[in-house]
Amino acid sequence: MATYKAPLRDMRFVFNELYDGSKLAELSGYEEATPDLVDAVLEESSKLCEQVLFPINRSGDEEGCRFENGVVYTPKGFKEAYDTFVEGGWTAINCDPAYGGQGLPKFLDAMVVEMICSSNLSFGTYPGLTNGAYHAITAYGSDELKDKYLPNMVAGKWSGAMCLTEPHCGTDLGLLRTKAVPQDDGSHKITGTKIFITAGEHDLTENIIHLVLARLPDAPKGVKGISLFLVPKFLVKDDGSLGPRNGVACGAIEHKMGIKASSTCVMNFDDATGWLVGEPHKGMRAMFKMMNTERLMVGIQGLGLAEVAYQGAVAYARERLQGRALTGVKHPDKPADPIIVHPDVRRMLLTMRAYTEGCRALAGWVSMSLDLMGHHPDPRARQEADDLVALLTPIVKALFTDLGFEATNLGMQVYGGHGYIREQGMEQYVRDARITQVYEGTNGVQALDLVGRKMPAHAGRYLRRFFHPVAAFIEEKQADPVMQEFALPLAKAFGRLQQATGHIARAGMANPDEAGAGASEYLRLFGLVALGYMWARMAEIALARQDGDEAAFYKAKLDTARFYMQRILPQAGGLYSAISAGSRTMMAFDEAAF
Amino acid sequence: MAEIRKAAVIGAGVMGAGIAAHIANAGVPVVLLDIVPTGAPDRSALAKGAIEKMLKADPAPFMHQRAARLITPGNLEDDLHLLADADWIVEAVIERPDVKQGLYRKLEEVRRPGSIVSSNTSTIPLAMLTHGLPEGFARDFLVTHFFNPPRYMRLLEVVAGPSTRPEAVRTIREFCDVRLGKGVVDCKDRPGFIANRLGIVWMQSSVVGAIDLELTVEEADAVVGRPMGIPKTGVFGLFDLVGIDLMPHVHASMAAALPKTDAYHAIARDIPLFHRMIEQGYTGRKGKGGFYRLNRAGGGRVKEGIDLSTGEYRPTMAPSLDSLDEAKSNLRALVEHPDKGGRYAWWVLARTLSYAAGLVPEAADDIVAIDEAMRLGYNWRWGPFELIDKLGSGWFVERLRADGLPVPKLLEVADGRPFYRVEGGRPQYLSLEGDYRDVARPPGVLLLSDVKLRSKPLAKNASAALWDIGDGVVCLEFTSKMNSLDTETVAMIGRAVATVRKGGFKAMVIHNEGANFSVGANLGLVLFAANIAAWPEIEAIIKAGQDAMKALKYAPFPVVGAPSGMALGGGCEVLLHCDAVQAHAETYAGLVEVGVGVVPGWGGCKEMLARWFANPKRPAGPVPPVAKVFETISVATVAKSAAEAKDHLFLRPDDGITMNRDRLLADAKARALAMVPGYATPEPPQFNLPGPTAKAAMSLAVDVFRQMGKATEHDVVVADALADVLSGGDTDVTVTLGEDDLLALERQAFMRLLRTPATLDRMEHMLETGKPLRN
Repeated sequence: MATYKAPLRDMRFVFNELYDGSKLAELSGYEEATPDLVDAVLEESSKLCEQVLFPINRSGDEEGCRFENGVVYTPKGFKEAYDTFVEGGWTAINCDPAYGGQGLPKFLDAMVVEMICSSNLSFGTYPGLTNGAYHAITAYGSDELKDKYLPNMVAGKWSGAMCLTEPHCGTDLGLLRTKAVPQDDGSHKITGTKIFITAGEHDLTENIIHLVLARLPDAPKGVKGISLFLVPKFLVKDDGSLGPRNGVACGAIEHKMGIKASSTCVMNFDDATGWLVGEPHKGMRAMFKMMNTERLMVGIQGLGLAEVAYQGAVAYARERLQGRALTGVKHPDKPADPIIVHPDVRRMLLTMRAYTEGCRALAGWVSMSLDLMGHHPDPRARQEADDLVALLTPIVKALFTDLGFEATNLGMQVYGGHGYIREQGMEQYVRDARITQVYEGTNGVQALDLVGRKMPAHAGRYLRRFFHPVAAFIEEKQADPVMQEFALPLAKAFGRLQQATGHIARAGMANPDEAGAGASEYLRLFGLVALGYMWARMAEIALARQDGDEAAFYKAKLDTARFYMQRILPQAGGLYSAISAGSRTMMAFDEAAF
Repeated sequence: MAEIRKAAVIGAGVMGAGIAAHIANAGVPVVLLDIVPTGAPDRSALAKGAIEKMLKADPAPFMHQRAARLITPGNLEDDLHLLADADWIVEAVIERPDVKQGLYRKLEEVRRPGSIVSSNTSTIPLAMLTHGLPEGFARDFLVTHFFNPPRYMRLLEVVAGPSTRPEAVRTIREFCDVRLGKGVVDCKDRPGFIANRLGIVWMQSSVVGAIDLELTVEEADAVVGRPMGIPKTGVFGLFDLVGIDLMPHVHASMAAALPKTDAYHAIARDIPLFHRMIEQGYTGRKGKGGFYRLNRAGGGRVKEGIDLSTGEYRPTMAPSLDSLDEAKSNLRALVEHPDKGGRYAWWVLARTLSYAAGLVPEAADDIVAIDEAMRLGYNWRWGPFELIDKLGSGWFVERLRADGLPVPKLLEVADGRPFYRVEGGRPQYLSLEGDYRDVARPPGVLLLSDVKLRSKPLAKNASAALWDIGDGVVCLEFTSKMNSLDTETVAMIGRAVATVRKGGFKAMVIHNEGANFSVGANLGLVLFAANIAAWPEIEAIIKAGQDAMKALKYAPFPVVGAPSGMALGGGCEVLLHCDAVQAHAETYAGLVEVGVGVVPGWGGCKEMLARWFANPKRPAGPVPPVAKVFETISVATVAKSAAEAKDHLFLRPDDGITMNRDRLLADAKARALAMVPGYATPEPPQFNLPGPTAKAAMSLAVDVFRQMGKATEHDVVVADALADVLSGGDTDVTVTLGEDDLLALERQAFMRLLRTPATLDRMEHMLETGKPLRN
């Protein structure tokens, strides 16, 4: 049976031991984020997630959203849970105090998000989208728009949605057709159809603030001619109260594989009134701001699902009695040994664990960098953090969701036939995880972003933010006898990554297909090395704390690190071979023969 | 043929003074005379003032300060006798026939019989200038039309009159070609000659088209710029440069001089905006601004462009035209695009190119002269007939007809055939008679591009190639973007040495016809490799480069470098390892590595030390040469000419200088062949360097600069590493170091610096802005 306890000990390890999260309180704007407060927030969040959100996860999946006469009804219990969520102030956690937010670090927020995603991914999409819209408006909206919309969004009274995709275009937004016609009063009339709009319509909030990409009449062709507009479901009067319904309506909801309690809407805009966010024709820039945050959050969705699948799998592996250990009976008192005695089951569990804790550590690096890039007093430090976030965003998104899917799949596998039965709750995680590899830019698109944009930017400056600390770590640790079992495998895989990077940069310059052909493997290779770096660093900490009250925790850390180094990281060699094989086998294949 | 041993220039304005300076650059003494200004204490103040001004000007009219001493300033009242032994007198006075003729009459009294007189007029017909003057004068007279600035613009238009002695024309052609390095183009005695006649039509149609089709100045400049191969100043930028106030005069004179049937009149039209700009003082860069200006109001620096319809300034607007985005470098796709950018491109090209076609035989004998004139005089990348070939001459004519525009005879003669072709490995052009003729190359001109048309490379990779240029000489050509050097280049150097040896060749020349010989190592590759911490790989590349340089230096045959344009960093190091260099006069050599936060790593430090130690004029002791090299490299000294490069020992005192680029390869080849008999590889240098004490002295000097605010924080770090290499590291004078010891020091310093973030910042900044970062 699926089960969830928030991994608070590991989160604190990442926050306090792997990174010195308490330092964040020294940054201007984060003075409140003292260790006590951080602890309290994690504690309270775990309660909410375990006790309010987790219990309605499976029922929400069974019931799904319902569409009737233009109205979307969320499953039973969602509205109540949302009210509890709002009352606890969870919609405001990372928002600007100027608009009623709590202004807490993103590092902390990312951990809260992980818990939400573990306990109820569908539910998490509603406040998640609001938060994405909030960030775009904060970054690019006029003061007037901010004052009018942000306080209620921060308070959770209103929610947000991102309206990008149209029936004929998703990845290639340059093709989009939705029109915006300027009006004399400075507003615009928006007309067009958007699809796959998560949280586009629902019954959780009294108003929904849509951010819509559309074209102005004089717009240049392609992505350079797209503008961003704010279109509320209900027009807002000057006094802040709700006015008449705007010309935006949900036409249908999709019936889909997973996240069934999250509404995925067709949104029709018919002369809807909207306001320009940012400059004309610069909508993609604003949208990327929102999308980058969203991509990190989607990565964390993968992490959250991997965590909950791991917990469910461990519980089952301990209690499921079946057969005997290969090396002889382990539990003679029982009719059979629990399946956890089997190497292959352990392989699955440790793989999940190594992924999960490795990703959590990496998410910590990225989310703390988000804090540094926004709050560090030194512009150079801000720039470096910004570079690192830009580089690791596609990796967090694609790697975490790919591993999340692998982990949920393994979780189901541990259950054998029972995993395939809905009642156990394990197959839901597989279905829920599957969308994370697809939305916010498919993982293939993430890989292209990595090799096509992030790698060449500023002659590789983004790469420096990762490669230099890793190289320095290896140089320092490989001479240390106790660290060699971690530093040497990391050095080997890192060497492969360096070679692969050089290869893709060189070959891709001459022929972009070469970079495209190896992009997905390259992203995986990069991700595995990044997790390897995380594991080596975690091992170093754990090595120093093998005695004491928490010896068990640190021993498990160290053993998982060993498993990662010996059983997972060697995949780097195979990935490197595939990358250097290039595009020929694929691109030379006769198209007619497919 | 007569020789020009002494010259004179009358008129010390911008053109006259510039011409005098350039004659001095060629090592020929020259007299510069102008009128006596009223009330001036010094009666030769104009000529003297012009020389003073030129010594401070940037870009410098002189290739070396020394050249100024070859100019004798004087005035037209006291110093006419100085002209008595001049072989060539250039007149560059005000564009008034009466003034010029008055001067000529004076010249007749003093000049040596058989001396040559030429006018630098750009607007007055030769026939008018010689009208009424004695036949003897007309026999010695021609027009030599230089372009501004005379040192740098390669075009020289020459017009001979019916009476001009062919011998005089040959003498001037030869002198201007070989000694002044000009591309001499024969023109007929027609208004505006070739380049300005076509240039004015092009500029006029560009403005009228932009106004009528409602393009912004930025859009117009973007359309005529890169796609048509026009320098990035664009056409409106060019107006600002030459001065908008000049235009009404130019047009008045062209309108008056050209027959009513000339196609010029169809596009000539008064542009009210010009008058308004001139009245208000917006005459271009010399005035308050032009089509563009830098608005410094309120302490800011806002680049503004003019609105062609309102005449008001507004911040520059980046052009956004589908035609440019879609056509990219395809000119035909651009002119066929339906948007205003495409229509504008056609508007301008239709008028300009068909006008060019009408200039044969009206102003020039053949298309080659016209293309050459526009390439050298207006810096077009392609001449008008090369542009027509890009569009297709048949397509071009059809489109002209469809638009109801006249079709000149030459285009009908072409009948859809290209204006240029390659036949039997030789470039040919289409004549007015309809047959193809070889493009003539004067004796002493060897172009690598011609070699490439008629042969296949001996070897080739992504960044370099080897060519057999005849008589047993191999040419190593760099072919990468901006001729930056990378691992492929290094590999090809190694291969070149083997090819020459095994292929029975006698010598090698290193030369290419790019704008720059080489801008140095490929910074992007180094920075990328550094960003991914590929330290051992980078060190291996440095080592491979050092090995390649040594292979060049110790090859068992002569290696002659033949650079033109920039030879920086690694490009300079290649030259330092050649047995000899035959440099184009416009060679800009320097070891500029510190600008990107590193030290020369391919033997540059080592070779410079060896040269300064071997310099017979150096003061005694081991410190002065070290200090001299430190001084040169630590501030990234770049020589502004080949002559200046000798001062810094980037070139040896006996290295050769060729004034005309087109003659560079032939000169270098001859030099290489001359070295073959009895060639011996050089002896490896040995060094006795002063070590830490000298380093401390250099560091102290840098600290002083730092305190004065002249050196930045990272300058100190880089200088320290450089001082470490140049002083020999941990050594003292009793220890003899070999070449490899110095190379190891270079590598260590390079790698150490590459690991500093400030060095990586410098590299990134240079790559992205083209300017050094002062961090």
